[in-house]
Order: sequence, then C-alpha cells, then structure tokens
Amino acid sequence: MKRWHIRDIILVTIIAFFMGVIFWAIGPVYTILQAALAPVGLSPLANELVIGIWVMAGPLAGFVIRIPGSATLGELLGAVVEMFLGGMWGASTLISGVLQGFGSELGFIFTGYKRYGWFTLALSALTTTVVTFTWDLFRNGYAAYHLPLLLLLVCVRFVSVFLFGGVLTKLINNLLVRAHVLKN
Amino acid sequence: MNPSLKLALLVLIALEVSFAQVWSVNVALIVVSLGLMLINHIPWRRLLWLTLVPLFFAGTLVWSLMLRGNASPHFLIVLFTRMFVYVYMGGWFTLTTKPLWLTRSLEQNAKLPSKFAYGFLAAFNLMPKIQAEVATVRAAALMRGEVLHVWSPRLYFKVILAAMNWSDQLAAAMTSHGFVEDAPRTHALTVPLVARDWWLFGISLLLVQVGLFVGLP
Repeated sequence: MKRWHIRDIILVTIIAFFMGVIFWAIGPVYTILQAALAPVGLSPLANELVIGIWVMAGPLAGFVIRIPGSATLGELLGAVVEMFLGGMWGASTLISGVLQGFGSELGFIFTGYKRYGWFTLALSALTTTVVTFTWDLFRNGYAAYHLPLLLLLVCVRFVSVFLFGGVLTKLINNLLVRAHVLKN
Repeated sequence: MNPSLKLALLVLIALEVSFAQVWSVNVALIVVSLGLMLINHIPWRRLLWLTLVPLFFAGTLVWSLMLRGNASPHFLIVLFTRMFVYVYMGGWFTLTTKPLWLTRSLEQNAKLPSKFAYGFLAAFNLMPKIQAEVATVRAAALMRGEVLHVWSPRLYFKVILAAMNWSDQLAAAMTSHGFVEDAPRTHALTVPLVARDWWLFGISLLLVQVGLFVGLP
C-alpha cells in the first residue's frame, strides 16, 4: 500500500485549502437559504442542501491521492482552513471535519482502495450521509424532529452529498484522467 | 497554554457538550470563553459577529424544532446555548493561537511526524497564491465567455493541476534544501510544555466533568 510522502502531504493540503476557501465562500449562501426557510420551520433543510459542497474535499482528495487516510485528512484540513479563515464554528468544525472525512473514507475502505469508479463514489456518499447524520441527531438535536421531516432531511442530504461528492467528483476525475494526470 | 493541549481541551469539551444536556455547564463555558476573549482584547466587531451569527442560527434551529418537532423546553435551551459554546470556545482558540505555533507544537509536543508538520506549513504559505489562482482561472474562463461556478468541474480541474505542479516543486525544493523524511530533527524554536499547562488542562477538564455529572439542570 502507498505511503505518505512529502509531495502527497503538500498536495492534500493545497487541495484542502482550496476547498476551505470554497466552504468559506459558500457561507453567505447558506445563511440566506437558512433565513428563507426559517419562517416555515424548515431551516435544517438549508444545511442538507449545501452539505454536499462541504463534504466534497474528502472524496476529491481520496480520488486524487489514493492513499489510505487521504479523504479524512483532506476534509479535516479543509475544516482547519475554514476555522482560521474566520468560519466560526470552532472546535465543532474540526469534529465535523473528521467525521465527514471519515464518512467518505469508509467508502474507500470498503472497496479496499482498489476501485475508483461510480460504485465507490455512491458507497462513499452513503457512508458520509450515515455518519454525518448520526452526528447531527445528537449535535443539532435532529432526533427531536418528527419522523417525516427526518426522512426528508436524510434524503436531501444523500442527494446533495451524491451530487457534489459523487457526480461532481467523478466529472473532475474524468477530466484529470483525460489529461493523463490520473490513472482510471 | 500549550497550543496542542489547548486544542485537545477544546475538542474534548466540544465533544462532551455535544452529547451532554446540561445547559448550566454550557452557560458557564460561554462566560469563561467570553472572559478569556475579552482579556485577550478581541476586536469588538469580531465579538459582535461571533454573537449575532450564532444567535441567528440557534434561533432558526430552535424555531424549527418548536414548529416541526417534539423537543422539551429544556432541550431547546441546551441546543441554543450549545451553539454559543462552540462559537465562543472556537473564537477564543483562533484568537489566541497562531497556525505556525500550533503546527510547531503538534510536531514537538504531540509527536506529529515532521513531514506532515512541514508539508502543512509549506502549503499554508501558498494561501495567497491559491486565492489568486482561483481568481485567475475564473478570469481566464470569462475571457472566453465562460462562467465558472462552484459546480463547474473545470474550475476544480484547473486548480488541481496547479496544486499538483506546486506540490511537485515545493517537495523538490524542500528536498534540495536538505529536508529528509523521517530523519531526526533539531529545533531552533522550542514550544514549551510545562507542568502548568497540564494542570490547566486537567483542572479545566475535571471542572467540566463535575459540572456535567453532579446533576445540574
């Protein structure tokens, strides 16, 4: 199995930083969505809609670097950047970062870091959704919502994670393969 | 306080608070963090920002739960104060911790392999270049009448290519300057880790445990 070298470490950090800048830039959109949905009591839906962008660093790093731990590290570093750029969730960002990264890492673990295609991406989106949603059941008190809303939230989250962490990551990967910087 | 221990304390408390349902401990943590931020001369605009935004988020969360859930008032207060615990503790941490010092401390005190510490630092200093690169890629696309969005694969593709280039060059530069992975290193600047740090860490953690398990509301 591949080991971490200084080049990979720098690469995962740069990718994470780039994603961190995006996480941070998406903040206002999130706030506006939240405000728009708040009056009808659906503000958690805002979180579910954009969460795909937040968890993208994991699968992207996992796809580009292909070393065990790269998804977790990529997502964690993205969270660190977000924190130091002035994102405000502090320690909670770090915990979410580790969990989101580990969630997508699970998809790669289950396929033994051997298959890099649709199946792995879909699996990774699923594990990310399960891990992060379990965390939100506690942290954001999601467990107290009525069941229909809870089901809606899970579905929207999975779609968002799949679109950004799955479809978009795959499209980026295709471009990289066509440019011969990544093996298929 | 030693940066690594401070980080550990922050994460441990945040983790516990996420599962515990004791609002009085949350309030105590908020007051302590606020005090620490004020002692460290937080700019008032930053403090205002750190207060208004979680107020908004906590407000919408509680409102949604009231409208669409069956949470007890006690649980709602816990959730409301929990948001502020995260934000204020995080605010105190980023206000009093420099990324460079934290990385050094993680390497020296927490035994993070030096290749990770120096790899992070090397990339960290590229931050302005990363932001400029995003702007360049977007501008170049605009000149061809193409608008790149957050969901455009091409935007990520181009930046990843740049990232690959830079990481190759940086790694080569570090090697040519004598950096050897996993080789023992000496440190020009050492981050102190003294008994006082451990006491502060232990007592803070102990106080939180007492607060959480003594039966406070």
